[in-house]
Amino acid sequence: MKINVMTDVLEANDRIADANRQVFDTNKNMVLNLMSSPGSGKTALLERTAGALQGRLRLGVIVGDIETTRDADRLEKHGIPAVQLTTGTACHLDANMIASALSRMDLASIDVVVVENVGNLVCPAEFRLGEDFKVMVLSVTEGDEKPLKYPMMFRESSLLLINKIDLLSYTDFSMDAAKANARRIHPDLEIIDTSCVTGEGVSEWVGWLCRRYREKFG
Amino acid sequence: MAIARSIVDITVAAARRENASRVVRVNVLAGELRGIIPAQLILYFGLMSQDTIAEGAHLGLESVPFVGKCGRCGKEFDVKDGSLVCPECHGQDVQMISGTELRVKDIEVE
Repeated sequence: MKINVMTDVLEANDRIADANRQVFDTNKNMVLNLMSSPGSGKTALLERTAGALQGRLRLGVIVGDIETTRDADRLEKHGIPAVQLTTGTACHLDANMIASALSRMDLASIDVVVVENVGNLVCPAEFRLGEDFKVMVLSVTEGDEKPLKYPMMFRESSLLLINKIDLLSYTDFSMDAAKANARRIHPDLEIIDTSCVTGEGVSEWVGWLCRRYREKFG
Repeated sequence: MAIARSIVDITVAAARRENASRVVRVNVLAGELRGIIPAQLILYFGLMSQDTIAEGAHLGLESVPFVGKCGRCGKEFDVKDGSLVCPECHGQDVQMISGTELRVKDIEVE
């Protein structure tokens, strides 16, 4: 006997993501799902961001890693409240893991929650966590063809940060090609060039955060 | 792995609703953009379905092409290389019609 099902495989995850979103909204949190390959500079970017946001918006971070709490330790040194989720074998965070982190954060005293996803360009795009925006970091050492190889990720993101631009002269990365490739996948994708070494682009990125926060909460 | 587990959960719940004793086949629609690797998903499905009524079921994966529709001229086209630009009028206002779905379509039970 054949039974029609037509159920979205990630329906259960999406339900939990919606519940997370409600908790975040109640606490007036804007939530970003920050995704990239391993080593693209997500944690360094957040260290820079915390300083630049001081006196404007309060940042909190949920960090996903397969092993170790090194990222959370690094962030806490900068005075950023951070909750570490170790995923074991899972290559991405899902809504349920985020739900488990909510009670470990003082959400009422945070404005922007950044979920630093596990470094991976495939699976994280599949799982909604309850975020307002997906933001991607692509570093120039990874190659300008990445948007074409991982279209889902670039399609789902609202903002792309092209990071490590201080290393541009040591690579054959073409900014023009990277941006053209990304916009072939996602024509109205916003893009900011950043370097966490020189600080270039950080104020523009912080400006983006403040603008989006104002748009959401007035 | 999380996807395989979810497919097993959905399958077992649907089969139970019909009081089935065994699932023979599960058909899944997988959009091209999802980047599903069939051999890997089939392997994980086999592992995750152990000791459930879906154990031993055949997992059929039906790939759904990535199709876009131009908002300007209305042309529907297969998207190649992820390029969301209309091949007819070069418009960039392109809607994705298919290619992102990941759905348990139907199951066969005994």
